[in-house]
Amino acid sequence: MTYTGGSEISSLNELVNAFANLDEEKTIGLVKKALEEYDPNEIFDACRKATDIVGEKYEKGEYFLSELVYASYIFNKIMELVLPKFEKKEAKLVGTILLGSVEGDIHDIGKNIFKAFAEAAGFKVIDLGVDVPPQKFVEAVKTHKPDIVGLSGLLTLAIDAMKRTINALEAAGLRDNIKIIIGGGRVDENAKQYTGADSWADSATKGVKLCKELLGI
Amino acid sequence: MQSSEELVKERFERINAAVNLEEPDKVPLSLNFDFGFKAKWAGITAYEFLFDYEKARKAIIKTATDFNTDMPSVPTLGTGSILVYALRDYQDVARYVSVLTGPIHAILRDKYTRWPGIELSPDTGSFQFIGGEFLKTEEYDKFIEDPVRFIAEVIVPRAHLSLERPNSPEAIATLMRVGLEGAKYAYHMDMLTEDLAKLGYPSLLMALTYVPLDFLGDFLRTIPKILLDLRKVPEKVKLACDVLMEKPLFRTLTFKSTKFVLIPLHLNEYLSPKLYSEFYWPYLKTIIVELYKKGIKCQVAFEGRHDAHLETILELPKGWGIASFEKTDIRKAKKMLAGHTCVMGGIPPTLLLNATSDKIEEYVKKLLEDTMPGGGFILASSTVIPAETPPENVRAVIKAVEKYGVSRR
Repeated sequence: MTYTGGSEISSLNELVNAFANLDEEKTIGLVKKALEEYDPNEIFDACRKATDIVGEKYEKGEYFLSELVYASYIFNKIMELVLPKFEKKEAKLVGTILLGSVEGDIHDIGKNIFKAFAEAAGFKVIDLGVDVPPQKFVEAVKTHKPDIVGLSGLLTLAIDAMKRTINALEAAGLRDNIKIIIGGGRVDENAKQYTGADSWADSATKGVKLCKELLGI
Repeated sequence: MQSSEELVKERFERINAAVNLEEPDKVPLSLNFDFGFKAKWAGITAYEFLFDYEKARKAIIKTATDFNTDMPSVPTLGTGSILVYALRDYQDVARYVSVLTGPIHAILRDKYTRWPGIELSPDTGSFQFIGGEFLKTEEYDKFIEDPVRFIAEVIVPRAHLSLERPNSPEAIATLMRVGLEGAKYAYHMDMLTEDLAKLGYPSLLMALTYVPLDFLGDFLRTIPKILLDLRKVPEKVKLACDVLMEKPLFRTLTFKSTKFVLIPLHLNEYLSPKLYSEFYWPYLKTIIVELYKKGIKCQVAFEGRHDAHLETILELPKGWGIASFEKTDIRKAKKMLAGHTCVMGGIPPTLLLNATSDKIEEYVKKLLEDTMPGGGFILASSTVIPAETPPENVRAVIKAVEKYGVSRR
């Protein structure tokens, strides 16, 4: 779609800036206004641009985890407003991520931040929740045929559960069709090698960036 | 062969030298194994370990015997209980409910923890603390007015299914059962301390305390909610933190013999320097300085990445205690805090999980070359070592310290 006037461009730009600056009230107001004028996909694009900026600021050390938590909170509020508009329209998606905290780990703060940022980036995210046994991942991969499987976990005990999950996917003959990323505060290059994953991330924004790279986006 | 008393003295002096920013005879080593590791090493499940104090004690002793370090893996079998915060003025019984163990979880049916063999598979290597939103945003004022009463009357019934109806026969029976179980746990812990002393391990950490914001986040609001509160109702959060400092709920349980107080930090890495300097650091600093004036040193566990706040540590009095780091660059921390603060950490458990013994030896050698000179360093696992870690890799660390950690003076 082509923009018909300068004012429209600036109102979406304003949304990007308000969201990137984590001005909740202004952002929500602008979204409500934009819903009357724009295709929901364009609002979605603005969110993606904003969360990209948030991610950059986090990587640069300008933003911290509390800002990421706040950004994901604002994004979820925006989605409550925008999602109903997608009933008639098809959302533009870049890929599907199957996500869950691995067996034995019931923490989900990191997983939920990642989920919001991945959705903002245009991924469809299927969230299996917490304490997800390997077999449940296997079944869900068969059902949903995701591009990426995201294994999340906070504790060091989660690393072995990640390995068991990847082994189960391999045993089921599903490993070659998917990319696997592990995420959480305690994963690193050693954990990646140990589990046999394709990528690792210890922050939500890095995780989303790597998911895009894994799909060549 | 050394007697156990001599060994206790030797290890204690080694640690003390590091804390006092001197170069010890050998770099002190501390390895923290998770419950699953100790259970597996003793041939029992994590469930058995966490629900049978006798078996746990034997497993801890076996691990401490077979893996020779200077500090035993933190000898506790549980996590913080909300109940204790209703008992600030009843310290005679508070000590018996300060730790939420597996059996106590089963009695209280609390909503803020999950345990192997109950909610999780029996082999899960640890219980897990998830917290809960037991204080609602609109209730801050009531909490601030009288935190102890609010916790006793509102939070305790909300957070524990067995205490849902205060004054009911079930609630009264629950409280009595918790007291009995707590006394049993305290007995086993006293025995464990004695057993560890017989093995030559000094008893160091006798008390635990929290920064007010962590207390609010962990026990009353959940981490995501407290972070939103910092933006939406900052003045209420500040008042709540202030009241928790003026009248501490968690009056630090110090005994005559208390040498160290452990302060685990959770929200430190979540906060920007601006939020950290307003809602976190002033409180943490006051706690450390006040204990230091009483002759008690703190071990502060700076969870996650503390790089952005590292310099603030220099505001503390020299030799205040131990700064243990998880993901903060340990070389950078050692360099910045040299001659001021004892630095602890350096071994990520993922290295022990994945690398070969040779690589581990090389890693420890290089790390000690950079961190040992000048003293004031304790080599430690940066977080807990999980069950599947190959035992030979743990031994590789111990051997490497014997080889490269001995002072050349």
